[in-house]
Amino acid sequence: MKKFVLAAAMAVLSGPAFAQAYPARPITMIVPFAAGGPTDIVARVVAEPMSKTLGQTIVIENVAGAGGTTGITRAAGAPADGYMIMMGHMGTHGAAPALYPNLKYDPTKDFAPVGLAAGTPIVIVGQKNHPANNLKEFIDWAKKQGDKSNHAHAGVGSVSHSTGILLNSLMGTKPTFIPYTGTGPALNDMMSGQVDYMTDQIVNVVSQVQAGTIKAFAIATPARSPALPNLPTTKEAGLPEYEVSAWNAIFAPKGTPADVVAKLNDALVKSLDDAGVKKRMDDLGAVMPQGAERSSAALQKLVESEVARWTPVLKAAAAAAK
Amino acid sequence: MDLFSNLAQGFGVAFTLQNVFLCFIGCMIGTLVGVLPGVGPVATIAMLLPITFGLDPTGALIMLAGIYYGAQYGGSTTAILVNIPGEATAVVTTLDGHQMAKQGRAGVALGIAALGSFFAGCVATIFIAALGQPLTRLAQLFGPAEYFSLMVMGLVFSTVLARGSIFKALLMVFLGLLLDTVGTDLETGQERMTLGIQQLSDGVDFAPLAMGIFGFAEIIRNLENPEARDVVRGKIGRLLPSLSDIRQSVKPVLRGTFIGGLLGILPGNGAVLGPFASYTIEKKLAKDPSRFGKGAIEGVAGPESANNAGAQTAFIPLLTLGIPPNAVMALMVGAMTIHGIIPGPQVMTKNPDLFWGMIASMWIGNAMLVIINLPLVGMWVKLLKVPYRLMFPAILIFCCIGIYSINNSAEDVYFTAFFALVGYVLIKLGYEPAPMLLGFVLGKLMEEKLRQALILSRGNFMTFVERPISGVLLAVAVLMLIVALLPSINKKREAAFQE
Amino acid sequence: MTDHDTTAPQARTVGRVPEDFAAGLFLVLIGAFFIWQAWKLPLGSLRAMGPGMLPTSIAVIMIAGGALLAAAAIVKGGNLLTRPHVRGLFFVLGGIVLFGLTIRSFGLIVAGPLSMIFASFATDEVRPTEAVIFAAAMTAFCIFLFKFALGLPIPVVAFM
Repeated sequence: MKKFVLAAAMAVLSGPAFAQAYPARPITMIVPFAAGGPTDIVARVVAEPMSKTLGQTIVIENVAGAGGTTGITRAAGAPADGYMIMMGHMGTHGAAPALYPNLKYDPTKDFAPVGLAAGTPIVIVGQKNHPANNLKEFIDWAKKQGDKSNHAHAGVGSVSHSTGILLNSLMGTKPTFIPYTGTGPALNDMMSGQVDYMTDQIVNVVSQVQAGTIKAFAIATPARSPALPNLPTTKEAGLPEYEVSAWNAIFAPKGTPADVVAKLNDALVKSLDDAGVKKRMDDLGAVMPQGAERSSAALQKLVESEVARWTPVLKAAAAAAK
Repeated sequence: MDLFSNLAQGFGVAFTLQNVFLCFIGCMIGTLVGVLPGVGPVATIAMLLPITFGLDPTGALIMLAGIYYGAQYGGSTTAILVNIPGEATAVVTTLDGHQMAKQGRAGVALGIAALGSFFAGCVATIFIAALGQPLTRLAQLFGPAEYFSLMVMGLVFSTVLARGSIFKALLMVFLGLLLDTVGTDLETGQERMTLGIQQLSDGVDFAPLAMGIFGFAEIIRNLENPEARDVVRGKIGRLLPSLSDIRQSVKPVLRGTFIGGLLGILPGNGAVLGPFASYTIEKKLAKDPSRFGKGAIEGVAGPESANNAGAQTAFIPLLTLGIPPNAVMALMVGAMTIHGIIPGPQVMTKNPDLFWGMIASMWIGNAMLVIINLPLVGMWVKLLKVPYRLMFPAILIFCCIGIYSINNSAEDVYFTAFFALVGYVLIKLGYEPAPMLLGFVLGKLMEEKLRQALILSRGNFMTFVERPISGVLLAVAVLMLIVALLPSINKKREAAFQE
Repeated sequence: MTDHDTTAPQARTVGRVPEDFAAGLFLVLIGAFFIWQAWKLPLGSLRAMGPGMLPTSIAVIMIAGGALLAAAAIVKGGNLLTRPHVRGLFFVLGGIVLFGLTIRSFGLIVAGPLSMIFASFATDEVRPTEAVIFAAAMTAFCIFLFKFALGLPIPVVAFM
C-alpha cells in the first residue's frame, strides 16, 4: 500500500514540465518574523501588486525565530531559481553578524539582492515626565545620570535594541538597560514612568506621542515625518551622526539568474509606484525608496555599509556587558 | 448617558447588513480554526489580512475580531472532546471538561461552555464600553514587581489544579518553569540549554509542548486502555444542560466573568491567568472539592466564562493604550495600521465609529456564536462515536498540519513527538501535566518581570514587599499557601492518630 | 506485530518498583541534566542576573523535591510502576516523525497518508484497507480545508 502511495506521488511529482518562462508557478516569500509585525506588513503590502505584475501568486511564509535569522538561513539555502525569495531587514542583513556568532550566512555574500522595499524611521522617546524637553537637554541629562538612567529595549537583536545601543555609543552614555520581550510591554512601563527612554520605529510610538503619554526628542531621518511634523530631526536637534532606519528589502538566494532578479526588481518597483501601496506605507510612517535607491546594486551597497556600521558598535556593547 | 449614546452609535455601525455578515463570516472561520487543534487564530488572521484590504477598516476589524473570539469558543470544543488545549487559556477546560465527556456528558459540557461564554461576552462588552478608560489607568499601576507578585500568586493557585498529590503537582510547576529557561537569555542574548539546536534559541513553543504532552500522550494512554474509551463511545447522554446543571453553574459563571474580565485588562497578557484563577476559586468554594478533576460542571462553567471575558477585555489595552497584550492583539495592531489607523489613546476620539462599532459588534458576535455553536453541539458529540482506530489518526494529521503551519517548520513537528514521549512518561509516573503547563505559561513572563524588577530596584529584593500592590498580592499568595497546606497537615495528623 | 500489548495493563508492572520512586528519580535526572547544561553559564548577581541563575536554582529545587519523593516512596511503598505501551508509542510517535520528514520534500499528498497509515497500526484493532481509504479521504479533505479554504502555505505537492 505504501509503495502504491509513493508511486502515485512520484507520478505527480514528475508530471509538470520544468522549462517554462519565469515565473511558471507560485513564488514563496519567507518573512522571518511572526505575522502582523512591521516586516510582515511591509511584505504583504508589496507582495500583492507584485503578484499581479508577475502573473503568479506570491505566498507569504512566516518563519520566525532567533531575530529573523532562522527564516533567512532557510531561504538562503533554497534553490536559486527565484521561487523562494525573502524579506530581510536591518537586523537580519545588518546587525545579525555581530549578534549571532554562529550565523550560517554572510549578508554581503550569500544573497542576490532584489531591492529595497521601505524604511521605517527611528524615534527617540522618553517618559512623559522626563526633565529634558529637547534632544540637547536629553543628552546632557543622560550623561549626568550615568547608570542611574533606565534605558528600555525590546530584546537583544530587536531594532530597538540595536538602535538604542548605537544611540548610547554616540552620546557616550552608559545607562542601565532594562530588557523587554517586545515594544508593547516596554512602552507600557514607559508610560507609567518605570523606565526613562528608548528608541523605536515610528509606527509603534506615533499614537502615544500624539496623545502626550510619552515624549519624543528627535527622529533619526534626514527629513521630518508627516506623521509627527513638529518633531525635529536628529540633524536639526544636534546629533547628526544618529541617522538610522529599520529598512526592509527583498533578497533572493545567491546564484539566482540575473534575468530573474531583474524581473523581481521590476515587479517590486512597479509595486512601490502603486497608489494603494504608497498610501499604506504613508500610514505606516514608512519612507519609500526613490529613484536609484530602488536598484539591486544600491541594496548591495546598503547591506555592506550596514554590516560595517553595526558590527563594531554591537560587538563593543556585548563585550562591555561581559 | 454618554455610554448609551455611544453604544447606540456603535450598534448603528455594527448592525449594517455588511458588518453583520462580516461578523458572521469571522465567527464561522474562528470557530472552525478553534476546533482544529493547532491551527490557531494567529495563523488564520495573518492569512486573511490581505483579503481585508478591500474592506473598510471597521468591517475588516469586525471580521478579524470575530475570528479571534470565535477561535476561543472553538478551542474549548477541542479541549472538551479530545483533551487538547489549543491555547493556553483552554488548559483548565481539559481538566473537568474532558472528564465530563468521558462520562457521556460532552453535550452538557459544550452547552454550558457556550452559554457561560455568551454571558461573559455580554458583560465584557459593557465592561469595555463603560470602564475601559478608567481601568486602563489602574492597569498601568502594574509594573514589573506587581506582575511578578501576581504570577507568584498564580503559581500558588495552581496547586489546587492537582487531582492527586499536591507535592507532585508543585514539582510539575517547577518542571514547567525549568523548561522556560531554555532559549536566548533575555538580558545578554546568550543561548542557554539549547543543545545547539537553532529552533530552541527562542525557547520551547507552547503549541508543540501542549499538543505533545496533552494531546498525543493522551492518545497513547487511550490506546493502552481500550475499555476506558469504549465507555465514552457507549454513552452520549443529553445534549444540553438541564435546569439543575444551569443552577449549579450560575455563580461560577458570574465569578468567572468578573475575574477573567479584570485580569484580561492587564497589559501583559493577564488573560491567561483568568481561567486558572476561576478554577481555583470554584474548587476552594465547592462543598466537595474532590469532585473537581472528575467532571465537575463548575470547573467548566467558571473557567470558560473567565476565558471569554478575558479574551474580550484584552481589547482594552489595545484600544485605549495601543498596546497589544498578546500575539493575536499584535496582529490586530497590524490590521489597524494596514488600514491607516494607529491604535492608541486617540482611536476613541478620532475614529469613534470604528471604536464603538467594534465594541457593539462583539456583542453581536457573541450572540452569533451561541446560534452557530448550540446546534453544532449534537454534531460534535456524534464525532465521539467515530471508532477510535479512525479518530486518532485524524487527530494526528490535524495536529501535525497545525503545528507545522505555525512556523512552517518540520522541526516543530519533531518537538511535538518528543514532548509526546515526555508526556507519556510523566503520565506513567503518576504526574499531572496541567500544573506543568501553567508553570510553563507563566514562567517566561515571570523571569522577565523578576529580572526587570530587580534591575529597576538595583538588586533590592524588598521592592516586591515595599510596593503596595505587589505586597498585597504576595500576602494573598502566602495566605493561600497556608490555607492550601492546612488540610493536608490536618489529614496527616488524623492519619497519625489513627495509627 | 508483537503481541505484548493486550488489554489489562494495570496488571503489568515492572518488577516491584514503586511509581513515586521512579517519578522522583526522573526529576532528579532532568534537574541534573539542566545543571550540567547551565554549568558554564554565568550566575551573575541579583542586580544583574546572569543567564545561569534561574536554570540552576530551579533545577536544584527540583532535584531536592525529586529526591524527597523517591526517598518517601522507598519508605512507604505505594503504587507500582506499570509497563509502557510500546506499540502505541512507536507507531504514534513514528507517524508524527514521518509527517515531519516528508512534508517539506514531498508535500501533504505523501506526508498525510503515510503518517496516518503508519500511526493506524498503533492499535491491534487496525483494519489495513479501511485505514488506507480513510487516510486518503482525510488527506483530500485536509488539502481542501487547509490549502484552499484557509489558505495556509502548506506544501501539497512537492515544492509547491
